[in-house]
Amino acid sequence: MSLLIKAENISYKTDKDKTILKNISFELNKGNILGIAGESGSGKTTLAKILAGLLIPTSGKVIFNKPTGWEKTKVSPIQILFQNNGEILNPLRRIDSVVREGVKLRFGKNIEAETKAEEIFNSINYEKNLRKRKGYELSGGEQQRGALARVLSVQPELLILDEPFSAQDPDSQSTFLNLFKKINTEWGTTMICISHSLKILHELCSYILIMYNGTIVERGECKELFSNPVHPYTKFLFKAESYKLTYDEFISIRNLK
Amino acid sequence: MKLSVNIKELWLRSSTEEKELLHDINFTLEEKNVYTILGKNGSGKSTLIKSLSGLNDINTCFIKGEIAVDNINTVTASTDELLYLRKEKIKYVFQDPANSFDPLRKLDYYFRRFKLDHIKAQELLSYLFLPSLKELGGMYPYELSGGMAQRLSFVIAVLMNPELLILDEPTSGIDPAIANLFLIKIREFANKEKRTVLLVTQDINFAESVGGYTAHISAGTLSSFVESTEYFNSDSMLFNKNRDLL
Repeated sequence: MSLLIKAENISYKTDKDKTILKNISFELNKGNILGIAGESGSGKTTLAKILAGLLIPTSGKVIFNKPTGWEKTKVSPIQILFQNNGEILNPLRRIDSVVREGVKLRFGKNIEAETKAEEIFNSINYEKNLRKRKGYELSGGEQQRGALARVLSVQPELLILDEPFSAQDPDSQSTFLNLFKKINTEWGTTMICISHSLKILHELCSYILIMYNGTIVERGECKELFSNPVHPYTKFLFKAESYKLTYDEFISIRNLK
Repeated sequence: MKLSVNIKELWLRSSTEEKELLHDINFTLEEKNVYTILGKNGSGKSTLIKSLSGLNDINTCFIKGEIAVDNINTVTASTDELLYLRKEKIKYVFQDPANSFDPLRKLDYYFRRFKLDHIKAQELLSYLFLPSLKELGGMYPYELSGGMAQRLSFVIAVLMNPELLILDEPTSGIDPAIANLFLIKIREFANKEKRTVLLVTQDINFAESVGGYTAHISAGTLSSFVESTEYFNSDSMLFNKNRDLL
């Protein structure tokens, strides 16, 4: 297993001197899936943007071991699938042309873009009759899978999924879950999945970080962490998910801040 | 004041899709209880709860059977009778609460219009971590996030103190911690205020924790309501058999 990405003591402050992230460090090997859990406002999306190079951390650094094969392209080997991913599709362009463009940007103009695009569509079970449609002609779920095809068109080394399951019904959640697993095994794509749902991270990931208020409060192998959570916040998340929380417990965790 | 809801041999057919959406539904709701209907998307959950106050468009569907709410049969009721039920007896929190608000009115309209008790309103708003009545009242619906709209819609419905409160997917789009607070309030509303709550959801954990009675719906057929403790009992076949349906 070779190291793909490493975060060293990343901290991030806004212009108004508000601390968003404090001393985040972790390592991720090639081919693995890392889960990051925590409630909204705990800095998960900021971390994703820093890892992808969209934001510069105030201190600390990100080391990315760029694999070979990316020398000739301007496309980044780290791609993010954002939360409102349906909206990133151009409503007036055909989805297959969007994916072909991505393929050409990544592999150069000489590639058989058509075949490559087909391959990508097939791997995420994208129905043939939908491929010719424009963004606005697709339903919410179809748009989301279209957005996934667009990100996959450059065959990223690291795929960051930012709350990919929010606002989805359980049916499409499991569809997406299976797609991500498939991409991981078939293409060996390394992934980071950000979600507030521990249940889903448990299904997908091997290693989990729990973030609270800008720091990592607990980390561990998925199985271990699920059978024996230590930090009060982790316990809180578990309890909230099974709806066993009392009002006092809810308040006490909020007061921890 | 005692609400009775009695549904007998209800069939509903969509005339646009040529499809039967509800088959032979029978159940009774009693006061002081929470009833949960579990079901997937497209299983007929929303159609069923809408039929309780005649909200389904009769131009696109054909309804047969009897839905008696306080001795008013909503299948054959006049518009005035339906308006009476909707105004006095039944309140809904819909699945897309952001669209339940008039986009051109500030939110304090709802508190003034329905003469809601300000002290109780303030209590419930702060319980659910919403801004104060004063601050919220000056906002327009577009300024709310999806989760806030969901919570506010719930607050207004509860403050109206309806005899029957109907919740459509109360946990969708809100984080589980806040959903816990909903759950506590739903139980309180049924037990302390002696009201009836009917909720439909796909969230198995929520259904199990909220207690009361549970049934499941699939392809328009509803099972009978049994006590949640029995429904989710690991020994009973009911839940395990239906788990795949969800």
